[in-house]
Amino acid sequence: MTIPDIVPNPLRRYLRPGSLPHFFCSGCGAAQVLNFFLQAADELGLDFDKLVAIGGVGCAARIPVYLHAEALHGIHGRTLPWATGIKLHNPELTVVIFAGDGDAAAIGGNHLIQAARRNLDVTMIVVNNLNFAMTGGQVAPTTFPDLVTSTTPYGNRERAFDLCQLAVAAGATFVARCSTHRPRVTIHTLKKAIQHRGFALVEVICQCPTYFGRRAIGSDDPAQGIRWIAEHSVSLYRAGELAEEELADKFILGTFVEKEAPVFEGSSVYPGGEG
Amino acid sequence: MMRQDRVALQFCGFGGQGIVLLSVVLGTAAVTRAGLYAVQTQSYGSEARGGECQAELILSKDPIRAPLIDRVDILVAMSQLALNRYLGRLRAGGTLIIDPELVQVPDRADVRILLVPATEIASRIGGRIAANMVMLGFLQGVMGVVSEEDLLDTIRDHVPHKYLELNLEAARQGIALARAQRVQGE
Amino acid sequence: MPQVPNRRVLTGTHFMLGNHAVVEGALAAGCDFFAGYPITPANEISEHMARRLPEVGGKFLQGEDELCSIFAVTGAALAGARAMTATASAGYNYMQEGLEYAIAAEIPCVIVDVQRCRGENFATQADVMQMRWGPSGDHEMIVLAPSSVQELFDTTIRAFNLAEKYRMPVIVMSETTIALMRERLVIPRPEEIEIVHRAKPSVPPEEFLPFQAGPDGVPPLPAFGEGYRVLYSLNPHDERGSIHWDPDVFEAMYRRITHKITTHYDDIVRTESFYLDDARIGVVAYGSECRSALEAVELARAKGIRAGMLKLATVWPVPEREIASLARQCATILAVEMNLGKYAREIERVACGTCQVVRVTKNRGVIHTPGEILEAIEAHA
Repeated sequence: MTIPDIVPNPLRRYLRPGSLPHFFCSGCGAAQVLNFFLQAADELGLDFDKLVAIGGVGCAARIPVYLHAEALHGIHGRTLPWATGIKLHNPELTVVIFAGDGDAAAIGGNHLIQAARRNLDVTMIVVNNLNFAMTGGQVAPTTFPDLVTSTTPYGNRERAFDLCQLAVAAGATFVARCSTHRPRVTIHTLKKAIQHRGFALVEVICQCPTYFGRRAIGSDDPAQGIRWIAEHSVSLYRAGELAEEELADKFILGTFVEKEAPVFEGSSVYPGGEG
Repeated sequence: MMRQDRVALQFCGFGGQGIVLLSVVLGTAAVTRAGLYAVQTQSYGSEARGGECQAELILSKDPIRAPLIDRVDILVAMSQLALNRYLGRLRAGGTLIIDPELVQVPDRADVRILLVPATEIASRIGGRIAANMVMLGFLQGVMGVVSEEDLLDTIRDHVPHKYLELNLEAARQGIALARAQRVQGE
Repeated sequence: MPQVPNRRVLTGTHFMLGNHAVVEGALAAGCDFFAGYPITPANEISEHMARRLPEVGGKFLQGEDELCSIFAVTGAALAGARAMTATASAGYNYMQEGLEYAIAAEIPCVIVDVQRCRGENFATQADVMQMRWGPSGDHEMIVLAPSSVQELFDTTIRAFNLAEKYRMPVIVMSETTIALMRERLVIPRPEEIEIVHRAKPSVPPEEFLPFQAGPDGVPPLPAFGEGYRVLYSLNPHDERGSIHWDPDVFEAMYRRITHKITTHYDDIVRTESFYLDDARIGVVAYGSECRSALEAVELARAKGIRAGMLKLATVWPVPEREIASLARQCATILAVEMNLGKYAREIERVACGTCQVVRVTKNRGVIHTPGEILEAIEAHA
């Protein structure tokens, strides 16, 4: 038997030295998003000296910890206020937020609405694994009705947020939903989002084998989780042909909005000339 | 009236009369042009939207420690309701300045009462809105803490260009009235 | 970026509102980022900032809440800004999360808290302990207490300098009394104003340890985009910034961020003494209460009572040396404050039985009158 030459993953050069091993469970969708982002950044030739990666609290929020970029981490739900201060002070920086559905839809929900309204020039990647995974698999605002989580033992009695529709309604200028079962599309969409000038939100539907998989879909096999996502996904094009009831437990995948609008430069801007 | 080292003034009326501006302009002139110390405070909140309105101003030759007024030396009243409320704070021997069109002469034998038809004068020269500036001019005339020129310059810094001439003329009328009353008094 | 010449420092004598003096102090100190959420009695700070900051090239944000304000401020500060927010008591509650982060990640910024009575614009000093103990975590705090419009201006400048020097959030403890008062303010010429800048790394990125302290206990701070690629986290981190749980690393971090303040007592703590040389009865006051207290001490002196006053311009860290010395000198200390007796506990702790500490308290929306304090002095003379 011959041992093949081990070629290190070329994307490793974008990782913070000393940050591995990572803390993600095996088969975690958030780890896949890290991979997608690195591929997108690599293809774009993103300058990591000018990149600020922001995470809140949660599994997905850990992604910036592994990036060898400027990075902020560790406060639940306040990623967008941070980004607002950074971007207003230095518009030359590229700011990318990695938020879980807890960060984006629960504790930080109002910040999301306001940032979209302002058209803050940042990219927000929402890693939606449909539950609070870091804390043990509690129900989230994104969990579908009737599903079992650690705080909905008899089935979820709340309706789920459609984060993309929320962002569209609030005025975001780039809004798309992808999933871990379609890597190439996701990488392509991330590239477009990062290049977009204005508020870009990309929701990535992710498997969480450890909690959501085990409790809600009855399997901690990552492949089963990805299959479940695929079965519950429908393209934006196909969605138009389906009735509302048929769409109730579906992820509509696609780009909902892509348009230009003036970006946020502060709440009070001097008109210029002599005062 | 600046014979004492410290004078406490209170201005009262209703919202929209420019009561606060009156106190701010006098304080500004005293501090920035006459080298005095001053503390100004005003009633705040819902009262700022049309109800009663009052402002306090302490003028002093020395730095002001406690920024509190226990007894008022000069009370300027431009509404009956406000006068009723604050007259009790005016010390015996103090001075009450009222607009007779808006306020009835109260029964206080222990204070000097000066009548300033500010609203009437302001209406005559083009706008009741400038009644506060007539009062301000009058105060300059009787107190003398700032010069006439300094007061007018301070008004120039505080009033929008559109209303400046009206306000300056109102102040001049007030100054002239004080002068005339002083001559009469002597 | 449009910039109006010579508008940053309005040199001259003014008759200015306290809240506006805070803004002018901040601008004179080089403030170039402000975020705030509407709340009385701090609104005049935001409103004046909204007008003034953009005309000198700074950025103004009206946040969607106080959390947005404090986190936008910390984000801007890491991007290189001299950043400030202002709020009032209830709004300060919301900011604790951001303060904790700013302390742990060592982010320089200034927070102005205009204390008010619950929901109303009446004067109080009820939040003097909250300023110190509000955020969770094991840390020191720098809280400054101005007592006049001039001191609001001067203290805001000092707050920026201390924040930059020690990489800390610094609190300007304002009060309704002085915030909504107009008073004489003398703004010096720009060259007369001391400006302290944060220390920047002196080594290239590959050699830089972002949380390794220099000789003064304070690590240098690069701005985002300068190539240092620093990871900031609330989580336990080592000198490299890497997140990992190691009790030694964790405790060492908290010891360092505590020591960088405690070892600079002489630089941070400021007090002023009035008539203390031969005093037998000492009045201790901070903020606007100093004004009535000093008048009361002078009235007492006129009556032959050997009273004096210690004014605490820094309330946190506690001026322990000065209070202890006063406790040794005097038979009685009067702890004068506009609350039901809070900071008095600190004075009692420091006096530690060497003298009698009497609480002179009031919480009715207005400062003590000199007469009230004089009465207390006479009762214990």
